[in-house]
Amino acid sequence: MSPLPRQRLTKRSFVNFVVIFFSLLFLSACGQRPPQVYQQQVLALGTLVDISIYGVDEEQAAKAVTAVSNKMEAIHHNWHAWQPSKLTYINQQLAAGSTVTLNPEQQQLIQTGITLAKKSNDLFNPAAGKLIALWGFHSDERPDSAPPAASDIEALVQADARMSKLTLDGNQLGSTNPAVMIDVGGYAKGYAVDQGIAALRRMGISNAIINAGGDLRAIGDKGGRPWRIGIRHPRQPGVIASLETHGDESIFTSGDYERYFEYQGQRFHHIIDPRTGRPAQGTRSVTIIHKDASTADAAATAIFIAGPTLWRETARAMGIKEVMLIDATGTIHMTEAMSQRVHLNIDTKTTKTIIVP
Amino acid sequence: MTRTTLADKIVVTLAVLLLPFLYIEFWGNSSQGEVVQIRSANSETITLPLDQDKQLKIAGALGISTIEIKDRQVRFIDSPCKGKQCIMTGWLNKDGQLAACLPNGVTVQIIGRDHRFDAVNF
Repeated sequence: MSPLPRQRLTKRSFVNFVVIFFSLLFLSACGQRPPQVYQQQVLALGTLVDISIYGVDEEQAAKAVTAVSNKMEAIHHNWHAWQPSKLTYINQQLAAGSTVTLNPEQQQLIQTGITLAKKSNDLFNPAAGKLIALWGFHSDERPDSAPPAASDIEALVQADARMSKLTLDGNQLGSTNPAVMIDVGGYAKGYAVDQGIAALRRMGISNAIINAGGDLRAIGDKGGRPWRIGIRHPRQPGVIASLETHGDESIFTSGDYERYFEYQGQRFHHIIDPRTGRPAQGTRSVTIIHKDASTADAAATAIFIAGPTLWRETARAMGIKEVMLIDATGTIHMTEAMSQRVHLNIDTKTTKTIIVP
Repeated sequence: MTRTTLADKIVVTLAVLLLPFLYIEFWGNSSQGEVVQIRSANSETITLPLDQDKQLKIAGALGISTIEIKDRQVRFIDSPCKGKQCIMTGWLNKDGQLAACLPNGVTVQIIGRDHRFDAVNF
């Protein structure tokens, strides 16, 4: 073999090598950069709403964010529990014993409330607005002053305000119990998130997350990779669990740390148990995965109130399969379906986990 | 077989010259570590390194929130809200921690090198 052909071969293969090497290098450099997720934060529903959108150009995403924000603001405005709103008008009419004519949105939201309350055996009780008001949570910031008198609480529990006392005949709403005061705070956020997702879909967006102050619904994914969600620890900074969404799912948490006031060293949170008229005991937080956000929102409240003894049957009655409840001792109770979804980020020596079918 | 050709030498030289580029491309950002993300409703997100001390004023819905980055920690030191929840949150120093002044629409969050979550539920 003469050295000449070998030399030529090497040169040619060298050039090929350099070309391929650089092509691969830049190809991999491109691949390293994650695809663009458009993210924008807006002030709506009295909280910060984070909207993430994947797969459309920035202009379209920005337009969609504005549309969602406007839709949610309209819902917030129409259903405000203590500032003059369409809801406060409805409540005035019901208290006066009159019937009210509802528009289609009002009819839909109130019918949803009646259905969810019934399924939860009235643990989720949007008719108990007077109790929420009595506790002072019908204000932007509840001052750290004394809780209401026991006699006032008892009187409202005895008044037995329930959604089943409402009569909804077509678009005519009436009430057989003047103590009923509708407060949609337990599911309006979910409803607004559902409406926001519907608005995105109408605009041709099929990959997005609407995160309204920690409660969210995710649709689609990020170019084949699922959305990754962290669930915050109820007592420490950081996350207690994480999960990846499957298509279209809402993840809602009710926690005793979200709204509360303190008086003489005792903490009073905002999730009122309609059976006792006082903040529900025994639970720190409840996390739900469910398709629609309205149901997830109501179920998180109902299951929180049900507590460590009744949570499983309440979840079943409301058709919720994926539930995680952290009780007052820090023990994690989960359905089997939930345990297959979450990756727990806990010290198994100090934190007890109970999985039930 | 063991004789190095000119081509071999060029390949080796190129590979050595590529090292600084590769280092900056793939490890360059990590020397900064964690960042602070400051968001204000309806305006651009500000991202700052956590290891550079700084005080800054952010315009929100009600007025100016003052945020301080110091010793790899960040906090609200002033905000025009009534409740001052944002200030009471105190120093943030761990990945994912968040402080918010809802009335003013300003949030501060520490984001780790790997942006682990698309959303946090609470």
